[in-house]
Amino acid sequence: MPETYQFVKRLPNDIGGLQADAVQQTDHVLLPWEKRCHALADVLDFHKIINTEEKRRGVEALGADLVGKLSYYERWIVAFANILFEKRILSPTDLALKMDEVAARPRD
Amino acid sequence: MSAHDHSSPHPEPAAPQHGGDYEIMETAVRELLVEKKLIGPGEIRRQIEVLDSRSPALGAKVVARAWLDAGFRGRLLENGRRACEELGISFYDDTQLIVLENTESVHNLVVCTLCSCYPRPVLGLPPDWYKVKPYRARAVSEPRKVLEEFGTHIPDNVEIRVSDSTALVRYLVLPLRPEGTEGFSEEDLAALVTRDAMIGVVAANPPTRSA
Repeated sequence: MPETYQFVKRLPNDIGGLQADAVQQTDHVLLPWEKRCHALADVLDFHKIINTEEKRRGVEALGADLVGKLSYYERWIVAFANILFEKRILSPTDLALKMDEVAARPRD
Repeated sequence: MSAHDHSSPHPEPAAPQHGGDYEIMETAVRELLVEKKLIGPGEIRRQIEVLDSRSPALGAKVVARAWLDAGFRGRLLENGRRACEELGISFYDDTQLIVLENTESVHNLVVCTLCSCYPRPVLGLPPDWYKVKPYRARAVSEPRKVLEEFGTHIPDNVEIRVSDSTALVRYLVLPLRPEGTEGFSEEDLAALVTRDAMIGVVAANPPTRSA
């Protein structure tokens, strides 16, 4: 069996049964933007724009390197943007211009 | 913010104190969807209120009711979602709920190996440890060792059943009712039922610890 075969058998999210470290009982209170991101996921699902399974695959499509570098909700928002581009609901230009506009606003 | 695990090959990055570019991206995506009238202007705020209204206290009420009312317990085990709705707990998503009853011979444990699926309508949002690799990877292959890491010792003659959640099917553990709780009210019983007991990583608290 070629060495690469493990990557064919398992996509990045499919980690059940792999060896891993001891469980650290970590938790944190969500930041406001993280909670908004979670609510956005629910609302996108309600409107049948992006469902839970599409979201999961969207995170997987970021690839193991990026998944390893982004925090949980950072993965979600990047996945949402990519899926919305794929579905032609938003364009990268729409998003870039809107992000410039948001970034230019005074922050608290 | 708790420390995260630096020893893993893919450690879970800590959430930054503010989202920076990702927070800007979240705001931009949300505003664009509202401008295109794909979502309503107040929908995110309203859904945050729904999320804030969900906590393990709801699941604890379900468990306590099941301990006291055999008829309810039967309906809960038959159709978890419908029985929760009977108690006024609405399901805001398309998920079904399967309630897994612990007995003297079976201990149940819930995981989502692929991501972080969780019975959010009845428990709120999952803790971080539920969403990262060590728990997801090992709960299915060495549940006894994982439970020991939570301080839970399951005797060898008790079978451990691990249920792997999906986008559409979520699980909730109905823990064993602790001894010494005869005559307890629903509220007193619910106070013994923690989030972790309903995930299955610990037992319900004995009555002395909550007094």
